[in-house]
Parts: sequence; structure tokens; C-alpha cells
Amino acid sequence: MIKFEGVVKTYPNGVQALKGVDLSIEQGEFVCIIGLSGAGKSTLLRSINQMHQITGGKLIVDDVDVSTLKGKDLRRFRRNIGMVFQSFNLVKRTTVIKNVLAARVADMPLWKSLLGLYTKQDKIIALEALDQVGILEKAYSRADQLSGGQQQRVALARTVAQQPKIILADEPVASLDPVTSQQVMSDFVKINKALNITVIANMHHVDIALKYASRIIGVKEGKIIYDGPSLKVTNDILKEIYGRELSDDDLMGA
Amino acid sequence: MSTKITVMEQLKNEPKNWGIKSILILGLIFIGYLGVTYINYNGFTEFGLTVMWNISKSIISPNTALLFGEGKNGVLYLITETAAIAFLGTIIGTIVSIPIAFMSSRNIVPGWMANIGVAFITVVRTFPAVVYGLMFIRVTGPGAFTGVLTLAVASIGMISKLFIEVIEDLDPGIIEALDATGCNGIQKVQYGIVPQLMGNFASTAIYRFEINVKYATILGMVGAGGIGAPLIFAITAYRWADTGALLIGLIIFVLIVEYGSAKIRKKLATGE
Amino acid sequence: MNKIKKFFLPKPIVLGNGKVVQPAMSPMVYVIPILLVLFFYSTSLTGFEIGTLINRGSKFFDILVRMFPPNFGYFGKVWTPMVVTLVMSVVGTLAGAAFSIPAAYLSSENMVKSPAVKLIVRSIMSVLRTIPLLVLVILFLNMFGAGAFTGMVSLGVFTFTIMTKMFYELIDTSDMGPFEAIESSGASRVKSFWAGIMPQLWGQYISILLYNFEMNIRNAAILGYVGAGGIGILLNDRLGWRAYPEVAMILLVLLVSVYMIENLSRYIRKRLL
Repeated sequence: MIKFEGVVKTYPNGVQALKGVDLSIEQGEFVCIIGLSGAGKSTLLRSINQMHQITGGKLIVDDVDVSTLKGKDLRRFRRNIGMVFQSFNLVKRTTVIKNVLAARVADMPLWKSLLGLYTKQDKIIALEALDQVGILEKAYSRADQLSGGQQQRVALARTVAQQPKIILADEPVASLDPVTSQQVMSDFVKINKALNITVIANMHHVDIALKYASRIIGVKEGKIIYDGPSLKVTNDILKEIYGRELSDDDLMGA
Repeated sequence: MSTKITVMEQLKNEPKNWGIKSILILGLIFIGYLGVTYINYNGFTEFGLTVMWNISKSIISPNTALLFGEGKNGVLYLITETAAIAFLGTIIGTIVSIPIAFMSSRNIVPGWMANIGVAFITVVRTFPAVVYGLMFIRVTGPGAFTGVLTLAVASIGMISKLFIEVIEDLDPGIIEALDATGCNGIQKVQYGIVPQLMGNFASTAIYRFEINVKYATILGMVGAGGIGAPLIFAITAYRWADTGALLIGLIIFVLIVEYGSAKIRKKLATGE
Repeated sequence: MNKIKKFFLPKPIVLGNGKVVQPAMSPMVYVIPILLVLFFYSTSLTGFEIGTLINRGSKFFDILVRMFPPNFGYFGKVWTPMVVTLVMSVVGTLAGAAFSIPAAYLSSENMVKSPAVKLIVRSIMSVLRTIPLLVLVILFLNMFGAGAFTGMVSLGVFTFTIMTKMFYELIDTSDMGPFEAIESSGASRVKSFWAGIMPQLWGQYISILLYNFEMNIRNAAILGYVGAGGIGILLNDRLGWRAYPEVAMILLVLLVSVYMIENLSRYIRKRLL
């Protein structure tokens, strides 16, 4: 369970990205965070695994106060949280399987990771993750030979191979076309259901968010202004979150 | 996708790369064997540590009379001389390289001529600068003049090789376009070729100047002028204060050249 | 002043629609005079005289002429020093290249969080880089005595200083995405670097390693001159005795070796990139 209690994040340049956020997310939920760019979506997401350190309030993940974690404890904590990025963040020059195996280095002794000595168990975990997102047959291709959608699936497989309890997705489909986006989002849903992994995704495109998430969190100017089931999101609520009528840019048109 | 592959099947499909792996391992073993056979370890002399300590210490307590001294023994003069040797060597090397490069470029001359040119450049490039130094010293005697000639010849190989790459990359479209506007031959060179080449040529020359500055210190060893010889004499005679003064001068000089060269080349590459 | 400026400015161009365009002043206007001044100052400083070159230049070709025909029988004596030169270059380059990875990690813009560490490592490295190879050789001669071991250590340290800079520049411009992804999975920064940054750079790393290796073979010939092993000793000795046919044989062996190595490394580089 993830619990925000009055979380504040102020950047060194004085910008206040989160202005007292209260939120609680149960294990196994599928949550989408929507809002204008600059509203604080990314900061909210990245504070959960402390890629951005919070500056005030309390953030508790599975009974651990996250903001007090440092060094080794922080790294051990992060092993339970996978992350998927808009730009996939794969090493394009190397093979798919090696990209997925990179999720296993956190658990390995340093000398083994320097020599690239992955155990058979690691390899099976990686291949199973690839199987789960349906690109097992691409395991030994170079990542840059894959399409954008396939690359994002490799990134998703990488987080699955990490065997996390939570997956954070920062705009996972923003650089994909509508059809591919739908496929990648169904993979997220599949993994959410099959492995009971909590998925929290930032979404620019409202229609995709409403279609796949069971719960929507609307963020505006560093505050949560809507938190509820996606079925109950009305046009008025969206208008409030975006401060204007929705435009074509906010929809993927899928 | 007709027959779906399973995880265990795919595990067996992993490319093992035995070929590359065994070449790498055998190669390393072979190099290790050669190293043990041909390179003898004659033991460690603790005096060496004293020398290292003294050299490091010397930089903090240099002979200031030498460091700030005027006249032909002062550091400033030696640095200026080194810079002059490197500069002149680079300029002469560049000027000589231009016709050589044009006469070895496939888009300017017939293939057989280019091959001869490239072979000549390869031969010139192979020999270390010191070899030229040792030969020139029998022509012009010890001194800065020998250093200039050595660096000039030693530069030709690299500069012409890089020039050829630039010339062969010339965009013929620009010349065709000028042709279409009715430019005459000289105008074509002036507006079509020179602007394409100048930046790259200048950048290459400056890069070679940086290398030549470093070589100029080595050439001191064969008696070809510059700061190299006094520096080596100072170290081998254990005159630490002098060593410090000469090293400080050299370090600052090389850092300035490195910085300036990187700045100018960046400017040339990005156009301001 | 204005008159002078006008003199140097290119002629204004009148366009078809009657507009007048003033082309920018070419940088050549000040670059050429500066180069000329430096040129003449340098010639007087170095005692450069075309006359001497013309009068005595033929001596250079005398030496070349006396090299023919090379003494092929001398090959038996050249063989071993050439192998020593090659081996000390290979081992020195590999060792220097290996140590350059951690040093480049510590000096790179985006790997080390502490600006102090980066500044200290970078400063030490740039001072080390300016120390001429010969000074290193003399230093190590005092430690390890004359011989190829000294040559190997000198080349290793020299390669280390150069490759560290070349490599941290590569790290600085690498894609940080994979690093961020692996770090977010709970791996340490060193592991994230190794699994996220190095796989992007192996090709370029091998490429700069080969470049340094080629350079080191040429440098290795210098080392022999001061007694640090290899073919340089022989070369200096034979030149001193004016045994030019034997010098020619040494140069020929050097030529063939360097030529083969350059082609091999060009082949490897092509396969990698």
C-alpha cells in the first residue's frame, strides 16, 4: 500500500511541484494520473521510488517511511518498484535479452554483474517476462531493430523481470501511435491482473487513461483535485482538471 | 508466429558466441605468454619513489629565477621556442600537404595516381618523428631548425591523410549549382570548394599543432631544440628546482594549447 | 578606422530587387596577417633558413640513397626487438585502457554526483596528461631499470591519461536513459553504469583503444632511444654507426608491422561501428 500524507516537493529553484498531496493506493490497483504538463504528475510518480526526493510530509510504502531511506536501504526498497519511461530507456545497441537482464543486476554481487555472469534462473526470469509481453521470439534481436511498441514492451518486460510489487509508468505511450498504444496498454492491464502488481501511470491522453485505468487521479497545480473511479469521470471534472475544454491534443483518438 | 516458441526452447537458442569468446581468451593468454617471455621484470628500485616524490615536490617549490628568468635559459624563452618550432612545423607541414592531398584524392586525379599518393603518405606516416629527427640532425645539425624540419615531415602523413578524407567528401552538387549560374573556374574554386574545405583544413592543422607541441618536447631528446632537452637534463642530473620550473611552464603551456585548440575547433565545427 | 574597415569589407552586393546586402567581413582579414607575423617571428627564433635547407637538404637524400639496398640479412637481429616493441605496446595499451574506465567514470559529468570528486580527479588527470612521455620514461627508468618493463609501464601510464579524457567525453555524451532505468530498479550507480552506459560505448571504447595502440607503436620506437627496450635501441645504435642498409632494414620491418596493424585495426573498427 502506498500512502501520501501531506507530501510537499519544492525544487531547489523554488518551484513548488507538490503542494500537500494526500493519497492512498492499495496493492493491485491500476491508477492513471492525468493533468496538464507541469501540473506535477511526473514529480508525484517519481517521488514514490524517490527518484525525486520529497521535501515535506510523509510518504509510506508498505509500512516504510520512504523519505528517510538512503544508500543501500533505498536501493533495496527500489527493487520492489519497476519503472517504465516515455522514451523506453533501452540500450539500443544491445540485444533485447540483455536489456531485460539488466533488471537483475541489482540483486547480483558486483563482480558477477561486471563480468555479465547471469545465472540460468535469471535468464529464465527474463525470458518469462518477455513471454508475458508477447515478444519472446525477439529475445536475441538487437533492441534498435524493434518497432517503438515492441521496444516499450521490452522495457515493460525489464520491469517485470525485476519482480516488483509496483510499476510506475511515466507517459508510457506518449511516443507511440494510437494502435500500438492500445496494445501496450493491454499488456499493462494483463500484468496488473496476472501478477497483482500495482500499476501507476502518468497519462497525457485522457481517453486512453479512462479506457484502461480503474481509478483516475486528476492533478492540477501540485494538488489532487479528483480521485475516483474512471467510470465517474465527467466532462465537467475533466474541464476542471485541464482548466479548459479538451482539445484533440489531449485525446489519442483511439 | 504459427508455432509459438516456449521459454525453455528459447533458453537453448541463446547464441553462445564460442568463436569470439575463445578468440578473446586465447588472445589474452597468448599476450600474457609473450609478455612473460619477452618482458623481463628486473625488480623495483626504491630510489625511483624518491625521484617521483622529488618531481612532485619540485612543482611546488620551483626555481623561480629560472621560471621567471629572461634570456635564452629562461622558461619563457624555452616555451616560446617550443611553440615556434611546433607552429612552423605545422605551417610547413600543412602547406606541403595541400598539393599532396589533392594529388591523392580520387575525385580529383585518376585512380592509379591516387593510389601512388596514398602509398607514399602511408610510408611517410609510418615512421615515428624521432626517426626523422635522427636523420635531419645529420643535415642541419642540432638546434631548433632540425626540430622544425622534423615536425614538418612528421606532420605531412597525418595532415594529408585527413585532408584527403575532406576532399573526397566534397559535395559535387555545389559546384554543379555554381556551374549552372555561369561561374568561371576561379569563381567555382572560390565559392564552391574553398568554403567547404577551409574549416576542416584549419581544424586539422590546429589539431596537429596540439600534437606537435607535445612532440616538440620529445624532440629535445635528439637535440632538436625546445624545452625538452633542458627538462630531461634537469631530471637526469637530479636538479629538482629546475625540473619544477620547467615542468610548471610546460604544464601551463600545454593546458593553454589544449584549451585553445578545443575552443577554436569547436567554433569551426559549429560555425560560431 | 572606418576607412580601413571599408577597405577590408567585401563589396556590397546589389540584389535584383534593388536591395543592397553587405557580406560579412571574412575572418581571413585578420587571420592571415596574424599567421604571417607569427611565421616570420618563428623563423627568426628557430634559425630557419631556406638557404641551409637548399644547400644541405641533399644530405637527407644522401642518407636515403645510402640505405639502398637494405641489408636483408639483418632481419634475424631485428625480429626479436620488434616483437618486444609490439608486446610492450600491446600490454601497456591494454593495462592503461583498463584503468581508464574507472578514472573516466570518476571524471564524467553525469556519473559522479559530488562536484568535488569530479573536479579533483579531472584536475589530476589533466596535469598528468601534459607530462611528456619521455619524463614518464625517465621516472620509471629510475624505478625499474633499463628494459622493456619500463617501456611497458610508461606506455601504460601514458595511455591511461589520454584514454581517460577521450572516454569521459564519450560518457558525458551518452544516453542517460538506460542508466536512469536501471538505477530506478535499485542497482547502485556503478552497476547501472556498467549495465546501462558501457554497452552503448564498447564499440567506441575499442576504437579509441586501437587508436592509442597505433600511436603507442610509434611511441615505442622513441622509448628504445632512452633505453626502455624494443626496436628504438637498435635504430639509434645503427644510425650512430651510420650503418644505413641496416637502418633501412629496421625501418622496413617497422613499416610492415605498422601497416599490418593499421589495417587490422581498421578492419576491427569497421566491424564494430
